Amino acid sequence: MKCIKGKTLKIVNRLLLGTLLVSPYVIAEEPLSDLDLDLDSLMAMDVQVTSAMKRAQSAFDTASSIYVLTKEQITHSGATSIPEALKLVPGLVVRQLDNNQWAITSRGVASRFSAKLLVMIDGQSFYTPKFAAVYWETLNVPLYDIERIEVIRGQGGLLWGSNANNGVINIITKNSIDTRGVYADVSSGSQINHDVNLRYGSDIGNKGSFRLYGHVRDGDESDKGISLEPADFTEQQSAGVRFDFTPNDEWSGLIQGNITQSSLGQNFRGVIDETNRNISFTDDLDRTDSRVMARIENRISANANQMLQTSWLKQSGSQTFLQEHFESFDIDYQMNFLYNDLKLDWGLNYRYNDISFAESSFVRSDGGYNTLHQYGALIQGQYSLIADELDIIVGAKVEHNDLTGWENQPLARLVWKPQKNQVIWTSISKSVRVPSLIEFNDDFTIDGQRVDEVSPITTGINAIDKYYIRTYLNGNENVKSEKSVSYEVGYRLTQGSWALDLSAYHTKAKDVIAITVDSNIEQFLPIFGLLQAGQLDLAMQSLTTTSINFDIVSNAQVTTNGGDIILTWQPSDIFNAELGYSYNTFNYDLAENTFPAIGYDSKSRQLFAKTDIELFDNHRLFASIRVENSNAYDVDNYTALDLTWQWAFHQNWSAAIMGKNLFAGSHIEYSNTGETFTLPNYIDESVTFKLIAKF
Amino acid sequence: MQKIKRVFLGLTLPLLLIQSQSVNAIDTEYALKAGFLFNFARYSEWTDTSNAVDHFVLCSPDRDFIDIASTVLSNRKVNNLPISTKTVSLTDADLSQCQVLFITSDTLNQWLNSTLGKLNNIMIVGETEDFITQGGQIRFFLSSGKIRFEVSPEKLTAAQITMSSKVLRLGRVVEL
Repeated sequence: MKCIKGKTLKIVNRLLLGTLLVSPYVIAEEPLSDLDLDLDSLMAMDVQVTSAMKRAQSAFDTASSIYVLTKEQITHSGATSIPEALKLVPGLVVRQLDNNQWAITSRGVASRFSAKLLVMIDGQSFYTPKFAAVYWETLNVPLYDIERIEVIRGQGGLLWGSNANNGVINIITKNSIDTRGVYADVSSGSQINHDVNLRYGSDIGNKGSFRLYGHVRDGDESDKGISLEPADFTEQQSAGVRFDFTPNDEWSGLIQGNITQSSLGQNFRGVIDETNRNISFTDDLDRTDSRVMARIENRISANANQMLQTSWLKQSGSQTFLQEHFESFDIDYQMNFLYNDLKLDWGLNYRYNDISFAESSFVRSDGGYNTLHQYGALIQGQYSLIADELDIIVGAKVEHNDLTGWENQPLARLVWKPQKNQVIWTSISKSVRVPSLIEFNDDFTIDGQRVDEVSPITTGINAIDKYYIRTYLNGNENVKSEKSVSYEVGYRLTQGSWALDLSAYHTKAKDVIAITVDSNIEQFLPIFGLLQAGQLDLAMQSLTTTSINFDIVSNAQVTTNGGDIILTWQPSDIFNAELGYSYNTFNYDLAENTFPAIGYDSKSRQLFAKTDIELFDNHRLFASIRVENSNAYDVDNYTALDLTWQWAFHQNWSAAIMGKNLFAGSHIEYSNTGETFTLPNYIDESVTFKLIAKF
Repeated sequence: MQKIKRVFLGLTLPLLLIQSQSVNAIDTEYALKAGFLFNFARYSEWTDTSNAVDHFVLCSPDRDFIDIASTVLSNRKVNNLPISTKTVSLTDADLSQCQVLFITSDTLNQWLNSTLGKLNNIMIVGETEDFITQGGQIRFFLSSGKIRFEVSPEKLTAAQITMSSKVLRLGRVVEL
């Protein structure tokens, strides 16, 4: 009896402490009788000790640098898009290129086309094998119906698959049983003409529930551009639905879908004519993004469960010089169970990608990769070496892809809980990044090189010497997958109303892509021959058929080091505060005659503070401040304050006023334009008003 | 007798070890359900105040559940009354001291086979499929591994209990 009680105490403690620790509503190490039995918290907890994978069970015990952004933080902050919500995560790099486009990553250098961060909605991946980009601007998820956003800084390769070297962002939406009723909000302000959300949810008999939602956004251009007038308007319409079924306690299922239609203005720079030079221009991008996902979960017993998930993603984009079409189909099976002190997870996955691209002046495919298949398996075991004190986790994921063949991603972790309120963890993991098609297959036209820059011989004839030769970023099949090994260590402590989360890492990546210039000197010899024969016209004509390749090669090494500190304080229910500091260094080790493809040697520091205060009845103030100090983006350091005041003036109605980027002034957040064809704009302070109704 | 017990334990110990995690998993579920029951009590009003009580009593015929609930709910209060937890047998006399009665799946048969008078002023909660038609007012169910509940406000009213709309809103309302 006593023994059962002791065990119960431990379980309850672990359960409540773990789940809630990283939320701002910290449950600290307190006597059990003081534990938070708030209904909201209870409803958020899993009954299973095993939980569906692609989900972090307990943030406190997790042997990786995880941060959970709670639904309270998302709604209190007044964020109007997913990237804005991600600004609330300490240690995440969230830089805005213009009013539509974002560069987001952790533990590395963010890029508009960053291939190393895996983004998922309810476990559905949004990775595109062509550009390795996430289209943040068209990723529509109703923020008011998000349960939480789990962010893993660092390698998430094992459970989540390839291309998760820098981190994983998993957006988990609410079960529709928790979103019954009507929700509506309307926002307008200095950068948003209008942003309207509407949702209706209800029961389906006593076996399920559903919600329908729609979203319309009309956004303004930025105030100030760098070389062109800003054109970054947004016109977006989105609709979605989610059904949840619970025929009985053992089985549950969900089906959800979303379609988003966007028209986005953008300033580009690209080679579009015979001058072979980059030309700046303004264009509209029309995109249609659709997704459907279905999942069946089965509780086999109290200590085993299984999950089957299938999803479909379709994205098409159309702009004057680029037509793209991408579809993917995923199927995942996972099973988790406990046997004695061993917790075992295993799973199988298959992904089919269909990529079609109209020939364009930018991108030319070498062909052969219109469809890509990917399949794999994973197994992970967690064993208690000392019950409730020391756990070892060992696992491996093996996956096959059509570009680089079989890849394996093993890991080993140790979790030690010297006391109930302290966790020390360490981990060694290997992670793989499969090249995108741009790197592996395509030729991307880039700013032309002048003859006298690349040819050892000059002719003295300006028409020839100053001629810009067509230049390609040449993706090729010699490109290998990038492999990185990461050593991580972390410590978590809760004491009274305080919580501390420390993590540090050292990651070494090899076979990283770099660029080497192949001037192909021989191609100029006939031209010099023609010149010597006095045939200038013919020489000029031949010159137009020459080209220079910026070949992608997999011979660089990158070392990244850094760490994160997050201190949370919640002295009472009506006040909490968080202070964070992140430090990251990024260093290339390049072979001779090569230069970096993504990012360059740099050091980034971020100081972060946020607070959520209930000032007096029905009034709430949410503030966050970010001090961004980095030489990785070719821009000045900046400090931005976001402030939101919310007033619930009626039991169904509330109003908010939000100030974004305050005190930062007109600033540029990202200027690595060599890596992107987007021309950034100045990011300005903005004010938004919002009215919210719930029935 | 003790010796027999010890021998028996020794023999079954390996088996118990295999079962041990299973016990843990059930503990988790019952710890959470105890928390829900606490909230049901907190946000409800027992309108029949003819019997003055000095304790708020949570009952169940399931001893394992009561063991867990007593840990989770120790030193908690409902309407300024301290909560006590009791393992009861399903008799009118035993149940007369309860404000909340939880019938677990293991004790459902006891409940179905019991011959009880009209249970007034008691919130009766279950976790099995048709529990509300079997005399309960509230029933827990699981959706994607999380606890949710069905509630019949009519039946609660009939038992002279009023539940706050704050909680009703979170449940699935059953009209009978």
